[in-house]
Amino acid sequence: MTSPRTVSRLARILALIPYVLSKDSVDVGEILDRFGYTEADLSRDLNMLFVCGLPGYGPGDLMEAYIDENEVIIDAADYFARAPRLTSTEALGLLAAGMAIIGSGQANPTLSSAVAKLTKVVLPEGEAAISVEVAGELDTIGQLRTAARELLAVRITYRSLSREEETVREIEPWSVFATLGNWYVQGYCRLVRDERVFRVDRIRLLELTDSHFERPEGVPEPGVSYSPSDDDIVCELGLSDQARWVLDYYPVEILSESRKETVIRFSSPDAQIPARLLLRLGSAARFISGAEVGETVAEIGQDLLARYP
Amino acid sequence: MGGGGPEGATLTRDDQNHPMQNVIERVINLLIYLLESPVPVTAEKVRFTVAGYGDQTDDAFHRMFERDKEVLRRLGIPLERQALDAFEVDFGYRVDPEKYALPDPGLSEEERFALSVAARMVRLGGGNAGLEGLHKLGGVERGAGLEPLGADLGAESEMLGDLFRAVTERRTIRFNYRDEGRSLKPYGLAHRRGHWYLAGDGGQGIRVFRVDRMADLEIGDEPGSFSRPPLFDIRATMISHPWDLGSEPTLVAKVRFDPEVAWWAARTLGVDAVDGEPLEVELPVSNEDAFVGWILSFGASAEVLSPGSMRAEIRSRVQAAVKGVA
Repeated sequence: MTSPRTVSRLARILALIPYVLSKDSVDVGEILDRFGYTEADLSRDLNMLFVCGLPGYGPGDLMEAYIDENEVIIDAADYFARAPRLTSTEALGLLAAGMAIIGSGQANPTLSSAVAKLTKVVLPEGEAAISVEVAGELDTIGQLRTAARELLAVRITYRSLSREEETVREIEPWSVFATLGNWYVQGYCRLVRDERVFRVDRIRLLELTDSHFERPEGVPEPGVSYSPSDDDIVCELGLSDQARWVLDYYPVEILSESRKETVIRFSSPDAQIPARLLLRLGSAARFISGAEVGETVAEIGQDLLARYP
Repeated sequence: MGGGGPEGATLTRDDQNHPMQNVIERVINLLIYLLESPVPVTAEKVRFTVAGYGDQTDDAFHRMFERDKEVLRRLGIPLERQALDAFEVDFGYRVDPEKYALPDPGLSEEERFALSVAARMVRLGGGNAGLEGLHKLGGVERGAGLEPLGADLGAESEMLGDLFRAVTERRTIRFNYRDEGRSLKPYGLAHRRGHWYLAGDGGQGIRVFRVDRMADLEIGDEPGSFSRPPLFDIRATMISHPWDLGSEPTLVAKVRFDPEVAWWAARTLGVDAVDGEPLEVELPVSNEDAFVGWILSFGASAEVLSPGSMRAEIRSRVQAAVKGVA
């Protein structure tokens, strides 16, 4: 099969030609910036176009494509006067991105009109056929985003996912992101003096402070990348078919898979998370090992059974 | 075969003769020919007309032509194949320039920029098809500062693209859902709480399917094979909580949340809670399984007060878990 790189290169060429044809003059710098080209890649592609054209492939049949005094020239390529239509993946990617931002309450009128125009072209009679909401709209997101932009620390009252306790802490927000249907803020926590990820809907109160911070160089891209550490509580669980959704929601390691059962290793900083999961799953999951998790299940289980005599 | 033969030698000549370079050059020439040809052309005609196909054996040519057609399809280019005679012996190919070209949405530079920022912030599965698509709309000048907000609509983007095409082109689809074969008129796609859903009609009214549970997707050949109900709105088919999704009859559950989790439950449910007070609410439930799971995620800080059948279900689930660790 032809590589995705070849397809990407072709897609960019077919977008480049109509753009250049539509302009009176375009300089090299603009093309590099606008289409994400390096200078070497651009001259390689132009050199190639120079030998493409209509059958016969004589001097009058070929395209003109070259750089002249820092200007990109393409000519005799009327068949490529318009860009090819968007693939469905491209169209969906753009629409979904726009709609997700609009749905998060962070939109501006320009983005809304862009999405409306694009929808009209892609879905002429079915505007109501697509809808994207990332997660519940939370006032806190706007404040966190402002704080991350202006490099201001925030004071949050936070209820951790695993412990039944509330803490007040100052954090330096680096980025705010949504994944798996929840919003998270990633940053430096001044309380534990380390990098942490917090779930935004678990922040009960939020206050902007006037304390500035410096964003460290090379902060990784936003994303929940939980990497197990040596202090982690580890347990092994067997998931039946009805419990397989766990693989979508938690960063787990799959140890073995059969038709009947998927065996996973679950690492977490706290026994509460896998324990509650086991209670939730009931007979859909099988506890294999992990003493601390087992004890925690028994503890919460006793409390629960007391409520359901 | 050893690496020193004549084949190895051709592969290492200058860049202009690099295989990838040859594919790109050949596909561009092929596309120009198919766009410019007023009538469908046969594969044989392509072989002896378009640069890059000469000097090939029959087999090599056919493999090459199949690969190049596949590249055109992956580029989203509508390649048409038509029978050239009543007996459907000979087939011809063409690309209709009108169908090839992107209808101009008339975006301003500012609107393109807004879309590019959104596409950089929101990812759909692994790649970033949105940004590549933006090139076709004219590209944008970069230079935007760092955006501290991002979202990952984590999904199998390839299947989503296919489903989106089926929705936009109104093609029926077939797929397996929980080991059951289904045929559906896909009406719309929605993303909620980290998952993509497809809504459509399989003959028993509009139903909703989770995309990541669909398998063996096949897209029908006929575009426009159904019409979407005029009042269809994907948002109306989507439910706000997982426990609203399901075919079980709706029952009403009365739940009590202890003060320490009341604010959080209230936020999830979109109701008001008084700080420091427990929260008692009645909730309609059509998927008992999902609802019980959600209640148990609060540990012992939430309790279903009624109905008794749900209390019994919780009790047996907890007993099963406790027994499992004993």
